[in-house]
Amino acid sequence: MNDEKPEIKKLYALSSENRRFTFSLPLKNTIRIGKRSYSVTLKSDEKFGTYILLKNRKYPVEVVRSRQNRYEILFNDISYTFTIETPFSLKRLKVLRSYSGKAESEVIKAPMPGKIIDVLVREGAAVLRGEPLLILEAMKMQNEIQSPVNGHITRVMAKSGTNVMKDDVLIEIKVE
Amino acid sequence: MKIKRLLIANRGEIAVRIISTAREMKIETVVVRNANEPDAMYVSLADIVFDNTEDPEEIPVFLNIGRLIEIAIETKCDAVHPGYGFLAENAYFAQKCIENKIIFIGPSPDAIYKMGNKTIARELAMKQGIPMATGSRGNIGNEEEAAAAAELIGYPVIIKAASGGGGRGMRIVRKPEELEKMFLIASKEAEKAFNDPSVFIEKYIENPKHIEFQILGDTKGNIVHLGERECSIQRKHQKLLEEAPSSALDDDLRELMGSMAVRMARAVGYYSAGTVEFLLDSDRNFYFMEMNTRIQVEHPVTEMITGIDLIEQQIRVASGEALAFRQKDVRIKGWSIECRINAEDVQAGFAPDPGKIEKLVLPSDPYVRTDTGVRAGSAIVSSYDSMIAKLIITGTDRKDAIRKCKLALDKVWIKGVKTTLPFFRMLVRNPVFIDGTFTTAFIEKQLDKYYLNSEYEEMLAAWLATRLFVDENLRRDSISIDYENGKEMSPWLLNKRINQF
Repeated sequence: MNDEKPEIKKLYALSSENRRFTFSLPLKNTIRIGKRSYSVTLKSDEKFGTYILLKNRKYPVEVVRSRQNRYEILFNDISYTFTIETPFSLKRLKVLRSYSGKAESEVIKAPMPGKIIDVLVREGAAVLRGEPLLILEAMKMQNEIQSPVNGHITRVMAKSGTNVMKDDVLIEIKVE
Repeated sequence: MKIKRLLIANRGEIAVRIISTAREMKIETVVVRNANEPDAMYVSLADIVFDNTEDPEEIPVFLNIGRLIEIAIETKCDAVHPGYGFLAENAYFAQKCIENKIIFIGPSPDAIYKMGNKTIARELAMKQGIPMATGSRGNIGNEEEAAAAAELIGYPVIIKAASGGGGRGMRIVRKPEELEKMFLIASKEAEKAFNDPSVFIEKYIENPKHIEFQILGDTKGNIVHLGERECSIQRKHQKLLEEAPSSALDDDLRELMGSMAVRMARAVGYYSAGTVEFLLDSDRNFYFMEMNTRIQVEHPVTEMITGIDLIEQQIRVASGEALAFRQKDVRIKGWSIECRINAEDVQAGFAPDPGKIEKLVLPSDPYVRTDTGVRAGSAIVSSYDSMIAKLIITGTDRKDAIRKCKLALDKVWIKGVKTTLPFFRMLVRNPVFIDGTFTTAFIEKQLDKYYLNSEYEEMLAAWLATRLFVDENLRRDSISIDYENGKEMSPWLLNKRINQF
C-alpha cells in the first residue's frame, strides 16, 4: 500500500434526494448555468447577514448544521442537505448501499416545540406510510405527525399531555 | 362620545395597525406589556404601556376579561379595541366593557352571541331566506339522530361544532358507516375546544371557493358592504393568501351576495365591521357559512381597493357617528393580494418554526403595504401565532397585482426562521392560481410541492456546501481529506469563515 494519499480532482455534493452535483478541484468561485459561467460570491454584512451574490442578486444563506461531511444549508428560505463525497468515498458508498437496505430504523422527532395532544399508536403496531402517529399542538395549530414509512412501532417515547422540545425523539419505527 | 384613550386588548401586527390609525385620529393608545414578549414592537409604539410582566398570568392576559377591565379602568381608557382572536368575539367581554362604561369597539354583545352560536345563526339565516347548505334542524343529540339527519341530507356531510369556528371541530363524513365514530369524535373535540359539545350536520359542499363580504354598519341602522374577498388559498382551514375582489364574481353575483350579507347583518342589528362568509360552488350557487363579528386578519385588501380605513370606521361607529357614505358611494378600484408571511417550515408541512428574527428587510415600493408587528431582533414565540408580516400588494388588475406580487416576494429578506415565502413564490407562478379557478381544496389536492426551488438554486446550495467542506478539510498545500477533523459547526462560524475570504 502506498502511504501517500492520491490526489483528489473532484468532489461530489449528494443531495438527500440523491441528486449529484460535481465540482472540480481546486474549487472555483464560479457556477455554470446552461452554457455560461457566472461568478458566485459569499458575503456578509450587518443589514442582510450572510448571502450569496449571483448575477447581482442576493440570496440568503445559512449553515443550519454540519457534521463531518454532511451539511444542512438554508438557501433562499429552503433547506437542502448534502453529503460531500470524494470519488473514493462515493464508490465506497455505492458498495455499502448495495449491501444494506434492510432492518433500517426510522426515528420520528418533534419538528417543533409543542405539546403532545394525543398518541395514536402503540408499541408493536404495524403502520403504513402516511398513517397518523400522534397529534402535536404548537402555536394554535394541531399538527398530525404521520409515519414516513411502512413498518412496526418499536418504541413510543411521546406521552399525551406532555411538552416536547424540537428534535425530541417521539417514536421509533422499524422499517419494512 | 369622542374616544380619547383606547386600550388595545391585543398584540402583534394588529396592535401596531390599531395604533397607527388611532394616532392619525389623535387618540391615545394603551397597550399591555406581557412576560412572553416584553420587547415586542407594539409595546414601543404605544403612548402608554401597562406593564403586566409581573403578573403570574394563570390565563394569558389577552384572554383575561377581569384583568383587562381592571387595566382599562386603571389607565383611564374610555374604549377597548379587541383586535382579532383572543376576546374579539367574546360576548361576555363586550358586555363587561359596557357594564364598566367602557366603549367596546365592535358590535353589540347580542350580535356577537347570536353569530357566534352557529345553530342560532343558521336559524336566523333561514328566516331571512339566505341560501344555505341543507342541514339538520338545530343541534344533534346522539348517534341515532345524527344518522337520521345525514340520511335525509345525503352524503357527503360535514359535522360542525355549534360554538366552533376557524375550522376546529369539523369532520367530513362520506359513508354512513363512518358517521357514528365521527359524530362522537366531533362532539368530544367541540367540548374540549369550546366547552360546548353541541354539533350540527350540514351537506358538505365539494371543492367550493371561500368568498366573504366585508360589512360595515353604524348604530343608526345604516349597513353597507365593501365587496368581497376571496380566501380559497387555505390549508387546514388556515388562510394563507387572500385577495379582493374575486375573479369568480361578476357585478350581478356581487350585488346579490352583497345584499344577502347586508340582510344577514341587519337581522342582528349589526354595527361596526364584520364579515359574512359564503361558500361558492362551481355552478355559482352560494351558501351562507358564518359571520365573523370582528376585524379580520385580511381586512387590508378591502381597504386597498375601497380606500376606506376599517379601523377608523370601527372607532367612528363606536363613538356614535353615522357612516359618512352609502352603498352607492362604495367604489372598488384595482386588485389587492395579501400574502401571510408566517414563521412556518413549508418543507415540513407548514410546521411552525418559532425563533429569533435575525434580519428583516421588507419592500418599500409604493405598490406594497406591509403590516407587521416584528422587526429585526424580535422573536416569534411559541405562545402566540406565527405571523411575521402581511404583504399587501395592489395593482390595477389581477394580472398586474400578481406581477407585482412576484417582485415584492423577492424583496422580502428574513433570516433566523423559516417562512412561507417559498410557498408564495411557487404559488404566484402556478397556472391554476394565475387563472383564478382554484378552490379551497387547491393546496391539499392539486399541489404536489409546496415550495419553489429551481435547479440552479439547489446547485448554488451544493456549491456552498462544497465550499465549506473544502475550507474545513483541504489543507492548503496537501490536498488530502481529514474526515476525523469534521466537527459540529454553529451557523455563526460561517460568518467568521466568510470574512477570511
